[in-house]
Parts: sequence; C-alpha cells; structure tokens
Amino acid sequence: STMPAYKLTYFNGRLRAEVARQLLYLAGVPFEDVRVRRPDWPALKSKMPFGEMPVLEVDGKPLPQSFAINRYLAKEFGFTGKSPFEAAWVDAIADQFKDYNIETRRLFLVLLGMIQGDKEQLLKDVGIPARDKFFGILEKIAKENGSNGHFVGQSLTWADLLIADHVKTVNILLPGFLDGFPTVLDTVKKIESTPKLKEWIEKSPYSKF
Amino acid sequence: MPLYKLSYFEERGLGEVSRQLFHLSGTPFWDNRIPFDHWPRIKEYTPFGQVPILCVDGEELPQSFAIARYLANQFGFAGKSAFESAWVDALADQHKDYLNEIKPFLMVANGFAEGDKEKMMNEMAKPSIRKYFTILEKQAKDNGSNGYFVGNSITWIDLVVSDHMGVIETLVPNAFDGFPLVEAVRQKITSEPKLKEWIEKRPET
Repeated sequence: STMPAYKLTYFNGRLRAEVARQLLYLAGVPFEDVRVRRPDWPALKSKMPFGEMPVLEVDGKPLPQSFAINRYLAKEFGFTGKSPFEAAWVDAIADQFKDYNIETRRLFLVLLGMIQGDKEQLLKDVGIPARDKFFGILEKIAKENGSNGHFVGQSLTWADLLIADHVKTVNILLPGFLDGFPTVLDTVKKIESTPKLKEWIEKSPYSKF
Repeated sequence: MPLYKLSYFEERGLGEVSRQLFHLSGTPFWDNRIPFDHWPRIKEYTPFGQVPILCVDGEELPQSFAIARYLANQFGFAGKSAFESAWVDALADQHKDYLNEIKPFLMVANGFAEGDKEKMMNEMAKPSIRKYFTILEKQAKDNGSNGYFVGNSITWIDLVVSDHMGVIETLVPNAFDGFPLVEAVRQKITSEPKLKEWIEKRPET
C-alpha cells in the first residue's frame, strides 16, 4: 500500500511541533512542514479542529493536540517502546512533563520575552520547585532504566525526543539550571547523537525556539 | 489474567475512568482507596508522588490518562483504528486543557481555596465550559450523533466526559444547556448495563 500524505501545520518554532517533525524525519517519511507566520494565524484559527496548532493531516484528515499527534506518529513508526506497558510509561512521562510545563508556563513566557514578569521571583517560587520535582523524577527514571540513553526501554521513544527538545530550550534560556541532574543531561546527549536526529537538528529550518 | 490493583483516593476524580473500564470489561481488580490521612506516609514510595497508580502484576504505572489509555487498549475501549485512538487522545488532552482552565474555580467551589465563587463561575467557568462543550457537541455531531464521541462504540473519552458532567452539574446550574448531543452521549454511556450497575452501587463520593 502507498504511504499516506502527511502535513504538519504549526508556527515557525520547535515548541509543540518539533517532536512530530523529528518522528517523521527519523522514519524517513516525507511530509509537508507548514510554518504559519504569526500575522496569518488569526485567519486560520477557526479552520483548526480545536482552534489551535499543531494539526497533523493524514491524507487530508486532521488530527489536533500535540501529544495525540506525537503518539500517533510514534506508534506508526515504532517509537513507543516494545510493549503496551512501555508505551504507557512513555505516556506517563509525557503527561508528567505536561504538568511541569503548566507549572512553569509563566516563567518560560517571561524568559522568552513574550510576557512581562519578575524572572527571579518566578524562578524561586515556581521554576526551581517544579524543576526539582520533575527532573528529580527523570533522574531516577534514567538511572533505574540503566543510564542507557533512554528514559523508557532500550530504544528511542517520543518521550526521549520530548525531553531532549525541552532540555535544549532550558540550556539556552537558563544555562546550568539542570546541572543537578547529570544522568538526565547525559541521556539527552545520547539521544541527540542518534544519527538521523543529529542530522535533523543540524539542518532543520527552525527559529531558535 | 494479570493481577490489577488501582490505587487512588476515596473519591471519583482522576481514578474513576479507570475503575469504570474495569467494571465495563468485567475485569476483576483491587479497587484500593487510600484515605487522605494515609497519603502523606505513602506518597514518597510512589513513582511520581501522585495517585492514581495502576499496578499490573506488581509493576507500577502512574498518571491517570496513561493508566486509562493502557486499560482502554487492553479491554477494547480505545477506538477501532489508530486514527480513532488518536482522536480519543486528542479529546482527552483537550479535556485536560479545559480542566486546567477551570481549576481555580473548582478549587474555590470545593472549598480548597478562597475566592468569589459566583464571580469565578460567571467569568471563568461558564466561558470555559461553553468553549469546550462546543467542541464536544460538534464532535458528537460529526461522529454521526450516535451517542459516542468517537467511532461506533464506547471509548474512554465518553467515560471521562460523562463522569465530569456529574461533577459540574452540582456546581454550575444549567451548565449543559445548548449541548443536547453531549447530553445524549452521557445518557447512552450511563445506561450501559455494566456501568449503570457500578454507578448505582459505588461508594457515595
């Protein structure tokens, strides 16, 4: 059977679409990588199923919500671990990451210059506690998984991609912030040295974030 | 059959969808309800410091939606194709986004935080409910108004939404006016015999 036509629509940034792009690239599957300019977004918003991006189209059928997209592509291409239980652990790590993201949202919006705020106060009240809680969990998980360069199982999963992409952003915005989590940092280094991923990271046309 | 244990508080909350999946599928499980005052002592022994936790033959899995999706996949409540499953996931994530929006209102309405409940209901809860339930109503319609949000049979998003409606209607009057197809999903789901039986006999929480 022929390969479906994939189209991914998002802003010109990594944020919520990069993992999906990486999965398609790692699978060697061609896809339309649509990057919407901010001024063009309001006109498109009502066309999206939930009024948000990213949206994946598979032979023209839309699918919203970044984690649903990531999981769908990961399942198609073999990046969800080697058993249903492993796949569930990938999901659990992703959802814990989402909780951490929600907690630290204001801090990162301030750091990215998208809203006004007191960076130091947000770091102290929100950033550091959220970091210690989430990255403490990841550090333990990486060690218990054998410090083998993956957060779950023995092969690359979309949780690896999700964490590695976020750590990249943290290292840019808050150098040294994750120094207390050496196994996590080492795991991310190993993930990023996956040959095809390294290739994508080096050549992909994204803005810094 | 694996030995299943689901650990959660003595309430419906984030554990109920998984309990319902066990009951719907007729799968025996240990419905481990943790009294609130026990929690501080056992929290540090859990993978993420949170409940619910699913234990499958002694192996632990945290995070309510990871658990629900795992069980739904095992028991056949995750849609009939990969794309259907993905749409169930997308709606579940939209549900999470919506819950996050109304969380401050729920905290006040349930007595966990100070605030002007009436003001928050009108300025925060009602608009968020309208926005999310508009999406659900359209989804139910696009799915053929067949009493399910995705496909032709029960999926775990049907359970999540139906249970949540039971929570909201005690806090926000007429919350679902204008969403008849969503109400139809709830009616269909809650009249499913095995689920009806569970709802009638479960502990009052």
